[in-house]
Amino acid sequence: MPWFEPAGVTWTYASRRLIAARLVVGILPVALLSAAVGALAAFLGAHPAGVAACSLTVIAWWAWVLVRQVTAHGWVERQDDLMVKRGRMFRRVTVVPYGRMQYVEVNAGPVARALGLARVQLHTASPGTDAHLSGVPAEEAARLRDRLTVRGEARLAGL
Amino acid sequence: MTGEPSAPPEEWTRLHIVTPVLLAGRTAGVFVAVAVAQGGQGGLFAAKNAPPWVALAGILVVIVAVAAIAFGQWWMNQFRVADGAVHQRKGILFRQYRQARLDRLQAVDVVQPLVARVFGFAEVKVDVAGGKASSIRLQYLRVEDAEALRNEIVALAAGLGRAPAGPPATASSPDLAGAARSGEPIPVPAAAPSRDRVPVAAAPQREVYAVPPGRLLGSIVASWWTVTIVGLVLITIVAIVVVGAVRVGKFAGDAVSGGGGIEGFLNGGAYGVLSGLFAFFAVGWARFASGFGFIAAISADGIRLQHGLLDTRRQTVPPGRVQAVRLRQPLPWRHFDWWDITINVAGYQDDEKADTTLLPVGPRRDALYALWLVLPDLGDPDPAGTVSAALSGKGADNGFTATPRRAWLVDPWQWRRRGVLATGRALLIRRGLFARDLVVVPHEKTQSLSIRQGPIQRLLSLATVEVHSTRGSVHPVARHLDLSDAIALLDAQAVRAREARARQSPEQWMATVRR
Repeated sequence: MPWFEPAGVTWTYASRRLIAARLVVGILPVALLSAAVGALAAFLGAHPAGVAACSLTVIAWWAWVLVRQVTAHGWVERQDDLMVKRGRMFRRVTVVPYGRMQYVEVNAGPVARALGLARVQLHTASPGTDAHLSGVPAEEAARLRDRLTVRGEARLAGL
Repeated sequence: MTGEPSAPPEEWTRLHIVTPVLLAGRTAGVFVAVAVAQGGQGGLFAAKNAPPWVALAGILVVIVAVAAIAFGQWWMNQFRVADGAVHQRKGILFRQYRQARLDRLQAVDVVQPLVARVFGFAEVKVDVAGGKASSIRLQYLRVEDAEALRNEIVALAAGLGRAPAGPPATASSPDLAGAARSGEPIPVPAAAPSRDRVPVAAAPQREVYAVPPGRLLGSIVASWWTVTIVGLVLITIVAIVVVGAVRVGKFAGDAVSGGGGIEGFLNGGAYGVLSGLFAFFAVGWARFASGFGFIAAISADGIRLQHGLLDTRRQTVPPGRVQAVRLRQPLPWRHFDWWDITINVAGYQDDEKADTTLLPVGPRRDALYALWLVLPDLGDPDPAGTVSAALSGKGADNGFTATPRRAWLVDPWQWRRRGVLATGRALLIRRGLFARDLVVVPHEKTQSLSIRQGPIQRLLSLATVEVHSTRGSVHPVARHLDLSDAIALLDAQAVRAREARARQSPEQWMATVRR
C-alpha cells in the first residue's frame, strides 16, 4: 500500500542546500562525540584504524539519514489548505487549512541565512499543529508568507 | 465611580478597595509571623545590643511600605468595558495594558476563593483565545457587582448591546426580581451603595443536571487510585505485623535492644501508613471540594456551570466555544455506568482542572445531556444510539471504522475498542478497553489534521490520524487505523471541517436573533 499521495498535487521539495546547512550545524557535535568515543576506544587498546573507520561510518550513516530526511520534506499549496510532509522512517503529513492559520513566522539562523534559506512556521490555535517548512529559499519564504497571510485573512473563521 | 449610577464602566473603574487586603492577607500574615519569629530569636532586625523598639520600628516600616505598595497597585489597577473589549491597565513601575476583545470571548467565570466568599467578594475572569497570559482577572469586586459585570460582558459579546435585557429571571437578590415583575423600574439597591452598578439581568437559565454529593463521594471512593492506596496501606500493615512478629520471636530473650528496635520499626511503619492516608484524603478532598454542588444549566448565554464547596466557581461558556469533549469511564465506575466529561475551551489552560470539567461524575443519561449541551445537534439520525455504541460498543458496531485485527501486534489491549465515526456534525473517536474513553470533536472546531506512520505500523499497513484541537487536556487521536481508512478519513475530514467552518454560527451568537 503506497503512502498518502493525493491525486493531482505536485510537491515542492525543500532546497538541497538544507542538507549543507544541517551538515554544517550538526557536524561539530557529531564529530566531537565520535572523537571522544574514539579516543576512549583507543585508550582502551583498540586499533586506531578501526576507531577511525567506526567514526567515519557513524558520520556517513548520519549524513545519509540527513539526506534522506531533507529529500523527504516537501509541501504543497492546495486550494484551501497547505499540506506538509516530512520523515521517512516516521513519516507524517499535516494538513493546515488557510482559514485556521493564526499567524505565519519566518526565521533563519546564521548558517541558513548564509546559504539563503529560511524556515516558515505556521501557527494555528492548536499547539499540536506541527507545520513548519524548512529549507525554503529566502525570497520564496517571504513570498510564501505574504501569500499564506492573504489566503488566511480571506478565509479566516472564528475559533 | 462615575456619577451616573446606571452607567456601565465605560470610564476607567477601580476594583474594590478591599482587594489589597484580600490579596495580601495571607502573604502579609506569613511575613509578620516570620518577622516576629526572627525578631524574637534576635535574627533579622535585632542587632546584638539594640533595644527591642528598633525591631518593632523596623517591622512597622516594612508593613507600611508593603501597605503603600499594595495600595498603589490597587490604585493603578483599572478596568473598563468599551469599544467591544474589556480593557485592563495595571502596574506601578512596569505598566501593563491588556485588552480582551469581546468577539473573541471564550468564557467568563465568577470565582470566589474561600476568604473572598466569606466577605462577599468575587473575581471576574474573562477568557479569550490566546496564550497563557491572555485572560483578564478582575479581583476583587462585590459579588453582585461581579455578577452584573459578567452578565454585561456576556450580553455585549452576544451582540445584544448595552441595554439591560428583559426581566431578571435569575436575579441575585429576590427583592429586585420582585420589583421587576411588578413593573416598577429597577431601583438602585440601597443596601449596596458602594458600587454604582445596577444588576444587569442574567439570561434565564434551565438546570440540566446536578451531581449529588453522595455520588461524588462514591465516585472518589470507587477509583483505581483508592484501590491502589488502600492496597499499599494494607500491604504495609501486614508487613509491619509479620516483621514485628518475627522480630519479637527472635529477640524474645533480649528485652532491652529488641524491644526498642521493634518499637522504632512499628513507629516508622505507622508514619508511612499515616502519610499514605493523608495523601489519600488530600487528593480525594480536592476532587470532592471542586466537584461539590455541581450544577450545569443551559441559557441563551450558553453553558452555565456552578460548583465548589469552599472556593466556588460560576462559569459561563457561550455557545460554540467548546472545542473538544472527552467522556471517560474508569473501570471501577463501569458497574454504575458513571462517566466524567472534560472539555477543551480555548481560553482555559490545561492545568486548570477545575475549569475544564463539564461533568465530574454522572450516569449515562447525564453524560448524554452534557454532550447535548455542547453539541445540540450531533448530525445523526439516532444520536442516543450512536453515542451509546461509541461509549460501550466495540468493533464495527453502528458504522464505526474499527482498527483491524492485525493491530494487536502494536496495541494488544485497546485495538478491539478503537474506532472512529464521523457524523454530520462531529467526529467520534473511541478507545480504551478497561478505562473507556470517547473523544468528540465538532467538525468546525478542527484546527488542522495530520496522518503519521512509524516503521512497525508501516509493516502492518496501519496509520494514525490526529485532529489538532486547541490547548487543553483532550487530545483527539485515532491510532492504528487501516492505512486506506486513515487516508480516506484525512481527506474526508478536511472537507467536512471546511464545510462546517463555512456554516459556523457567528461569534456574536444573539446578533442574528436581534436584528
